[in-house]
Amino acid sequence: MKYLPLVWAAIMRKPARAILTLLSVMVAFTLFGLTIGLNATFVKFSEMARADRIWTQQRFGGGGPSGGGMPRALVEQIGRIPGVSQVAGMGFVGGYHGDPKNRVFIWMVDDKLGKVFNEWEITPQQWDKVRANRRGLLISKIQAGRWHLKPGDNFTMTAPGLKKADGTNSWTFQVLEVTNEISFATDGFMMGNYDFYDKSRPLADQSRMVQMFIQTSNPDQSAALAQRIDATYASSATPLQSTTEKAALDVSNNGLDFITVDREIALAGMFMVLFLTANGIAQAVRERFAEFATLKTIGFSDWGVIGLVFAEAALPCILGAILGVGLAGLIAAMVPRVGQGIGGFPMPTVTGGVVLWAMLCAAIVALISSALPALRLKRMDIATALSGR
Amino acid sequence: MLRQIFVVSAINFKSLRQRLWRSLVIVVGMACVIGVLLSMLSLTEGMLAAYMKTGDPGRAIVVSTGAQGEGNSNISRDKARLIMDAPGIAKAPDSSPLADAGINSGVPVIRVNGRPAYDTLRGFGPKGVMLRPEFHMVSGRMFRAGTRELIVGVLAKTQFRNMNVGDKVILPDGEWPIVGSYTTGDLLDGQLIGDTETVMKAIRRPAYNSVLVRLASPSSFAGFKRALTTNPALAVDPYLQSEWYKKISEGFSTFFKVIAYGIGIIMGVGALFGCFNTMYAAVAARAREIATLRAIGYDAFPVAVSVILEAIALAVAGALIGALFAWTLYDGVDGAFGNSVFKLTVSPTLIGTAILWAIGVALLGGLLPSVRAARRPVVEALRAT
Repeated sequence: MKYLPLVWAAIMRKPARAILTLLSVMVAFTLFGLTIGLNATFVKFSEMARADRIWTQQRFGGGGPSGGGMPRALVEQIGRIPGVSQVAGMGFVGGYHGDPKNRVFIWMVDDKLGKVFNEWEITPQQWDKVRANRRGLLISKIQAGRWHLKPGDNFTMTAPGLKKADGTNSWTFQVLEVTNEISFATDGFMMGNYDFYDKSRPLADQSRMVQMFIQTSNPDQSAALAQRIDATYASSATPLQSTTEKAALDVSNNGLDFITVDREIALAGMFMVLFLTANGIAQAVRERFAEFATLKTIGFSDWGVIGLVFAEAALPCILGAILGVGLAGLIAAMVPRVGQGIGGFPMPTVTGGVVLWAMLCAAIVALISSALPALRLKRMDIATALSGR
Repeated sequence: MLRQIFVVSAINFKSLRQRLWRSLVIVVGMACVIGVLLSMLSLTEGMLAAYMKTGDPGRAIVVSTGAQGEGNSNISRDKARLIMDAPGIAKAPDSSPLADAGINSGVPVIRVNGRPAYDTLRGFGPKGVMLRPEFHMVSGRMFRAGTRELIVGVLAKTQFRNMNVGDKVILPDGEWPIVGSYTTGDLLDGQLIGDTETVMKAIRRPAYNSVLVRLASPSSFAGFKRALTTNPALAVDPYLQSEWYKKISEGFSTFFKVIAYGIGIIMGVGALFGCFNTMYAAVAARAREIATLRAIGYDAFPVAVSVILEAIALAVAGALIGALFAWTLYDGVDGAFGNSVFKLTVSPTLIGTAILWAIGVALLGGLLPSVRAARRPVVEALRAT
């Protein structure tokens, strides 16, 4: 601490260079914060995904809104399988609001959904309202903001693939409540009443659902139970595809390993910074070689001088890391409000762990970049250095 | 003037070796920026190329009104017949319309990394192959109509397990053998194909997803479209197949481009500061030399230009290294996103864009230092140690 003014003076010898270096480092750590923060979000999702839930859909023909769907009776049947504690079912109304570009996707949920997902911040009173009002909708804040909706508003959408009994495919809902977000619905959600969905369909299409959520009594047995359920219905009219919630929400399911990609991008940024910092510090030491010799002459030890050099490298790195990661946090907080959320892509979370990693990387960058100059200083011949040769 | 620029720049580049390490900051920085940018864009580029290749402007696809994908489109049998009777469709040798009603379904498969996924199972009717001259069998044989057999695209096995000739695919009514493999050079290379009617029976689907037709001529689309959209018995959207693939790829391609260029811009800004830093140092290191040139009558302008040229040369060198990296690592590599299988692509156009990008950063990064170099009073600079 005592030598901080000395380090500061050294850095401020070339203020332009110091500021530019700091900005470079800051930008690289902004990127670091965004990418590693995104990975933190993925980890958070997978931690929030519950081991005691199974997601089940029709094995073939996809889960599209026009797909035939699974018979509603499965909820009862599967509910009787040992190890299953509760089953919820839902349908989807997918389509657009006004312009086909304005895509809307509404989950039409039954009474059990709130019980199977008991951790959601939706109160029993709110669930009761949807049950009581067939056209009712619970919508999250993101969706309310997107469509400028408040409780009491009507919301009409067109579902091209989903005909109603009256021959039209226009669906009208009424917004009842605006609720908090739920973990995996990164683009917000809208939830309506399953009975409304079901009774609106033509008779031949009634009593069908597109997705089931199964709560198990023993989380360790969920994966085995999922397999057992699929095996039971393998040769029925609607074979099922069941996965644990953990597996269903895994980010690498889509074939792209986001976590590795994020790390590689962050690493590229770090490499850039490393080169820059190493260069800057090497040059600073070269320019002030004689001064370091003087320091040694007046009694600074080898390690003392090396410490000064390290501090000179570390200060902009650490400062840049703090500013950069802070900026990343700011960006992550702003983007969902500015844009319409880019297709519901999750936003980075700048957690304590992310900050810690950033600090560690900053320290490593400082350490590596001051290593060579430090070696030179350690080996310096004071007399030669002083003479400026 | 040009001669002066040439001379000053030549002196400049000759002295680069003395400023090698400092200059490498720009090269390495730019290599990182362009390497990351191109690696990320290789995914979008490859995926988009596969989509665009699949869409032939000589064909039209008909889906139900408002459908955003073949998966959520529904065309019943009687409507499919009406569509095929519309004017503007090319004729097959037997003078029947060159059109085919298709089915498009997800089949659960396992990725090579063990993750669950869906691959696309397509149905080809009697005209499926005739409609697609790009279709060629590679090994094994074609499926027989009416039998429970499948053929597989050549790229499917790079992403999904058990996708070789002789493997079996589980469908609702049992295991279907893969009897052959084919290539089309587009998205279909990652998919499975079976006989439309047999597949529909197996997955218990009463309606088709879409109808694909070969247009009689490029100009016949307008009439074809008019006939379908004005027919009150139909509620369908006809698209040129090329337009359709453009439409369905818009969402993801914009998304990925925003991400890639967003990261590119952030890294570019970082590199820009590095560039400033290096070029200021370069100008400082050459202060006396520049002052000497100015003293013997060189203009300020060539001096400034030489600084910018140096920045550009370094940045372009870095960009080329980054591009080389991205190209060797990713060009032609098998990639997948969702249920699309394709080859990652680092195209010459993409590399060209990247180099322009680098030049842009260098122009910005060299501008201020060049002004300083040109403006510095000669006497003061000559005195400087």
